[in-house]
Amino acid sequence: MSVPSVVGVYIFTICLIVPVLVYALVKHLWNQPLQNGPGYFYGIEVPAGFYEGRGRSWLKGYHAMLAALYLACAVALGAIVATRRWEMTPLWAGGFALLFVPSMFAFQAWTRHKLGVDPPVRPVALALASRRLGDYISWPAEALVVALVGLSWWLLLRHAGAHFDWLTPLLWSWVALGFLPGKIATVRASWPLPTERTEEHYRYQDAMRRNSIRVMNLYSWSTVVILFGIALGHGGWSAARRIPWLPWSVMGVFLAVWGTMMVAVFRGERMAATVGRDLIPAGSWRTPFRRATLMMSNSRPYLIWFAIWFGGILAFLGYALWQGQLFK
Amino acid sequence: MFLTLQHDDKRPIYQQIADGIKALIARGELREGMTLPSVRQVAGDLGVNLNTVAVAYRQLQDEGFVTVRHGAGAVISSRSPHPIDGAEMYKPLHTALTELVLRGLSGREIVEAVREQLGLLQQKRGTR
Repeated sequence: MSVPSVVGVYIFTICLIVPVLVYALVKHLWNQPLQNGPGYFYGIEVPAGFYEGRGRSWLKGYHAMLAALYLACAVALGAIVATRRWEMTPLWAGGFALLFVPSMFAFQAWTRHKLGVDPPVRPVALALASRRLGDYISWPAEALVVALVGLSWWLLLRHAGAHFDWLTPLLWSWVALGFLPGKIATVRASWPLPTERTEEHYRYQDAMRRNSIRVMNLYSWSTVVILFGIALGHGGWSAARRIPWLPWSVMGVFLAVWGTMMVAVFRGERMAATVGRDLIPAGSWRTPFRRATLMMSNSRPYLIWFAIWFGGILAFLGYALWQGQLFK
Repeated sequence: MFLTLQHDDKRPIYQQIADGIKALIARGELREGMTLPSVRQVAGDLGVNLNTVAVAYRQLQDEGFVTVRHGAGAVISSRSPHPIDGAEMYKPLHTALTELVLRGLSGREIVEAVREQLGLLQQKRGTR
């Protein structure tokens, strides 16, 4: 049996990512603003007849935005295939995420600005259960992540050649280690609980919180696998460099973690759609002391973390682009 | 276990929090040794200032309902609330009765209401 090349790994990755993206579009994203039923748009209560009037054009605008994002993704993929620049695959996948996430955030923020600036005030319930970091975050697992990142850097610093591209491991280390503050922000974040069906709202909120942390854990592990793979391939001991199946092994582990992460993402989406449908959406009301929020991801600590973490990734990529390292 | 805060309540927020916790202790829902969430968590969840929650917790501590242990947070106290003299003890009752009289309730209606509320309180304690 012949040993597959690195190009094969890239093609295999593309073949896995494309169906997942299509599934996400069809199953979750296309009608996401309607996930709380026709009385709401992205969790914000809308007046009767909204979808006969401006709601229809909003939905069209949302669909147009999704179509444009996916079209850009398809065009970029087409360019990779046509030019056979398979090494651009990570940039293609990451670039789509970089374009997609802020676009969705911006659309939600615009929706909130237009619709939900003054939702009704309701009495609020306060859960008296303590949320300790240790109940949500596994410290031994975090220590292992730090240890593997440290080991990767030790290998790279000892063995990497003079012409090694240091920006890549730096970026992956930033991505992997940057998740911990995000998890802490997620544990601390919450959205207000209404006084009706409080127990159900509380359980739903906690389940969403745990799912977000699970996704972050898996994302973090997938990047650690890549970093460790780079360290073994470029900086690792000479025996490791001679293992022909190393790229495939690393990619196999990465895809297993990545696949589990996607399952967690879709499970969270399904839970939000099924369990959350009958509950009062967070964005449709406000408390006497707190403005309406769309979800936990709209809490201030989470947004600050995301801005720093995501901004860091953009800065790395911008610097690489400026240095001409991305299109070498 | 949840504490409800009304938007039309005229009491300050810290008082609503302190009174709510006391009501849960009275009903037996919060029992000796149970830990309250941290000041930071409560302030974050409600969207109020840290000091507001800290004042509520301090009041509960001063009245002997909770013990604040360094590192462990606020724990429902094993001791009875600090003893107070008779006149001080009946002050809240006097205020509540005055309010009911001013609202036009007769003596019999007030007694019935007090009996009913007391019954509810005891019933909840009894079920635990």
